Amino acid sequence: MSETVTFKLNGKDITVSKGTTVMEAARRENVEIPHFCWHPGLSVAGVCRFCMVKVEGRPKLEIACNLQATNGMDVKTDTDEAKSAHKWALEFHLVNHPLDCPICDQAGECGLQDYYMSVGKYQSQMTRPKVLKPKMLDVGRDLVLDTERCILCSRCVRFEEEVTKTGALGIFDRGDRAIIGTYPGEKIEHNYQTNLVDICPVGAFTSRDFRFKQRVWFLKDKPATCPGCSTGCSVDVFGKPETRSYFRIKPRKGEANGHWMCDKGRHMYSHLNQDVRLRTALTTDTKGRRHDTNFAGAIEDLGKRIAAVNPATDIALLVSAQHTSEEYKSLFNFFVQELGVKKVFQWREPTEKIDSFDGLLYRGDHNANTRGLQNELKEAGFATEVKNEFDFVAGSGAKIVIAITPEIPSTCPSLEKQLNHLTELDFVSFWTSAGSVGDNKKSKHALPMKGFAEKKGTFINHDGKPGKLESPFPCPVVDGRDITEIVAALKSWRHSHGSR
Amino acid sequence: MGDTFTKVKITTAFEGKPNARAIKTYVDNDGYAGLKKALGMQPGQIIDEVKASGLRGRGGAGFPTGMKWSFVPKDDKGAKYIICNNDESEPGTFKDRYIAECNPHMILEGMIIAGFAIGANKGYIYTRCDFFDEIKWLETAIREAYDAGFLGDNILGSGFKFHIDHYAGAGAYICGEETGLLSSLEGKKGQPKLKPPFPAISGYLHRPTIVNNTETLAAVPWIINHGAAAHKTMGTEKSPGTKLFCLSGRVKRPGVYELPLGYPIEKLIHEDAGGMLPGYNIKACIPGGSSAPILTAEELKGLTLDYEAIAAKGSMLGSGAIMIIDDSMSMAELLKVTVEFYHHESCGQCTPCREGTGWLANIMTGIMAGEGKKDDLQRMFEISRNMEGKTICALSDAAAMPTKSIVTKFGAEIADFIERGKRA
Ligand SMILES: Cc1cc2nc3c(=O)[nH]c(=O)nc-3n(C[C@H](O)[C@H](O)[C@H](O)COP(=O)(O)O)c2cc1C
Ligand code: SF4
Ligand code: SF4
Ligand code: FES
Repeated sequence: MSETVTFKLNGKDITVSKGTTVMEAARRENVEIPHFCWHPGLSVAGVCRFCMVKVEGRPKLEIACNLQATNGMDVKTDTDEAKSAHKWALEFHLVNHPLDCPICDQAGECGLQDYYMSVGKYQSQMTRPKVLKPKMLDVGRDLVLDTERCILCSRCVRFEEEVTKTGALGIFDRGDRAIIGTYPGEKIEHNYQTNLVDICPVGAFTSRDFRFKQRVWFLKDKPATCPGCSTGCSVDVFGKPETRSYFRIKPRKGEANGHWMCDKGRHMYSHLNQDVRLRTALTTDTKGRRHDTNFAGAIEDLGKRIAAVNPATDIALLVSAQHTSEEYKSLFNFFVQELGVKKVFQWREPTEKIDSFDGLLYRGDHNANTRGLQNELKEAGFATEVKNEFDFVAGSGAKIVIAITPEIPSTCPSLEKQLNHLTELDFVSFWTSAGSVGDNKKSKHALPMKGFAEKKGTFINHDGKPGKLESPFPCPVVDGRDITEIVAALKSWRHSHGSR
Repeated sequence: MGDTFTKVKITTAFEGKPNARAIKTYVDNDGYAGLKKALGMQPGQIIDEVKASGLRGRGGAGFPTGMKWSFVPKDDKGAKYIICNNDESEPGTFKDRYIAECNPHMILEGMIIAGFAIGANKGYIYTRCDFFDEIKWLETAIREAYDAGFLGDNILGSGFKFHIDHYAGAGAYICGEETGLLSSLEGKKGQPKLKPPFPAISGYLHRPTIVNNTETLAAVPWIINHGAAAHKTMGTEKSPGTKLFCLSGRVKRPGVYELPLGYPIEKLIHEDAGGMLPGYNIKACIPGGSSAPILTAEELKGLTLDYEAIAAKGSMLGSGAIMIIDDSMSMAELLKVTVEFYHHESCGQCTPCREGTGWLANIMTGIMAGEGKKDDLQRMFEISRNMEGKTICALSDAAAMPTKSIVTKFGAEIADFIERGKRA
């Protein structure tokens, strides 16, 4: 047991481990102390001077973020003096703020707006012209910077120093002329830029991708696990259920990722939007004519074809590692255990550098569930070495190939080429969300799939730790199903058509 | 009272001596005698002696020097540092440079003794870059001290090692604040550091560091040489010793005066400095550098120059810069240059200081342009009140205190100025 201290917070005794700050303790107790510069994932700067609290017996207010709790300390966050300090601190923050909320993406999730409602509500006393600063600065691929909205909390500077260790940002000039910026002629280059948008408590850093697309209060966020690589960052996916569209992904605090995620992961919503997705099921009739169909129609077609062959020799499964463990389990239960399929191949990107790692979060294995697929393959009695077995499919002699494609085309540079190869085979049933499968005139059969944000299940990350998908959005594609649902439909078709 | 004031000069002892700055002159007049004595004492004894002398920091805050030294962890055998704060950036102050002009060795000797007392082997002098001559004199003195064996790996055969380097700042007021100075010395942007930890625990390069004002350090050799008791016979009970006062304004003889603490300000102005220039009368006085609250002519009556007496009048002794404001000066103008200075010099990390200093300056710009509003003074008072005691360093307070006092004591004059929309 580490040493503990007991102190009073607004009259209530609280015991915390020694070294805990009043800010940290208050957060744990759900006592709100207004703050801008403090961030749980960064060092303490103590510059916004917003988090003032009263410590009985001390002449001046103290900042909670740099105040270690000690035995017997009597801290109050809500005395008149503290409240007045909060109000004034907010007013100082807003003196030179442009107040352009109507055109600011941060509106609705802005510290300045929120605190104005909770601790501000003063009549502005600023009667003079404000300090003007550079706006719309291009400081990096994914970022737009408005230094006039910036409150100089230095979170972004500390992030670049402490997390990416690039020191890409600095505060130039001083006093109220100070501005955030990159060094002359340089831009932020790394894969973690959009974290700056998240940690910036105001609308100074905005995301080039998300800018002006949507008011945040129309968005609904649901927890998920990022499907972008084998790290499996905890994320929140932001979508608009009414229009069945997705807008952004943000990190959620998690064991695998702490507070952050990478920029590649940020884009893991774009393949979910309708314009790039396979929207209808496909079948090909006995005369070789291709039709759009509904889910039941495609199941019937596939069910009949399966019933007509000897599964042990004639069916092959080609399985990518971007789906959940639960899905693999049901897949193998049906095809391997029940039907006796023997040809199961792993589908991986041939150019991948599976062991590469950038030292922070992003890994060269761009499949969220390599480990989960390995586990289920082993359960089903197959070898467990991770490798790309795509090239074995053509020579396998299978008459029916069930090709479960990677969900995220952008993670697989060879995907289009691979899809073209597959369409040359006798009969391939694509289980996919990729719109390009439908666009390819040679595809004979396809079942639209749900994306990661639309299903429940588990990814097992590089470290063997589970990452959950548990709060699905409605699938924008009416006939979209996950593997488990497709398998269940095939099973019930099969049972109702006499086979066991 | 009159002649009971000591004539002893400590930090200006070499004032006017021929070849004053040369090491020979210094050594011939008891120079480095304090160091020799100190090297024969225990470090703890030196700290106790300085404590007993009642010496208080001359940089502005008046913090007891011996006590500050005792905060350095004794059992820590790693690197420690002594920094001489020779930035002298407080407006109205011109005393530290005068010590370097009179005899820079006194500063070095004080640093070496302080280093021996706290167990430091390295010292830095941080001088503002505009002091071209003083920098030259200090660097010459350092070379002389090395040659004479007062600095080096084995000082005077004692086995004690101490080195001094000189560093020129770039002229920022904030680099006179001790932790701003440390950031600058570390090669970073001159911004004060969040406290705690305090420099005595974690300062320069995160090591225990003592930052003392030049005048503080220069008084140390005398104290060690003559003893704490002798020091306590000068000045007042709570403010012992002598202090340099920088007298400016329209007096007949402005300049640096070394006087015992507790000296009557009127005596300084009217006798030592010869009174006001003909045709000018005292309207007000800033007694301790631009950060000190202003006093009216009335408040100077019977005032003595010691920490306690000036604090009792609601102001502070500060750096000892006494600025006489005469009746030809506009208080609006004075307030404007004051707030503009702090606006220019705020490092900008703390929101109340960054925005507060800017806001005050902005309002004054409006007033000077004839756009002043009736409630501007009330607003300036409120802004100042909320800048005080809220920030990492005291620059915010330093801007707030004079502002509050000027709008309170001379509000009518400025209100009249606003009313007429032009210069009073
Ligand atoms: C804004 C600001 C400027 C300061 N400038 C100086 C300075 O120029 N010289 C100085 O000795 N102390 C200055 N100080 C005080 C120092 O922070 C520190 O208290 C002093 O160097 C300690 O030395 P002392 O204990 O010997 O007085 C300044 C303080 C503030 C807040
Ligand atoms: S850009 Fe944002 S995060 Fe950076 S200092 Fe300004 S307000 Fe803080
Ligand atoms: S009070 Fe002003 S000068 Fe001092 S650290 Fe804060 S912003 Fe900088
Ligand atoms: S949150 Fe404590 S000073 Fe900013």
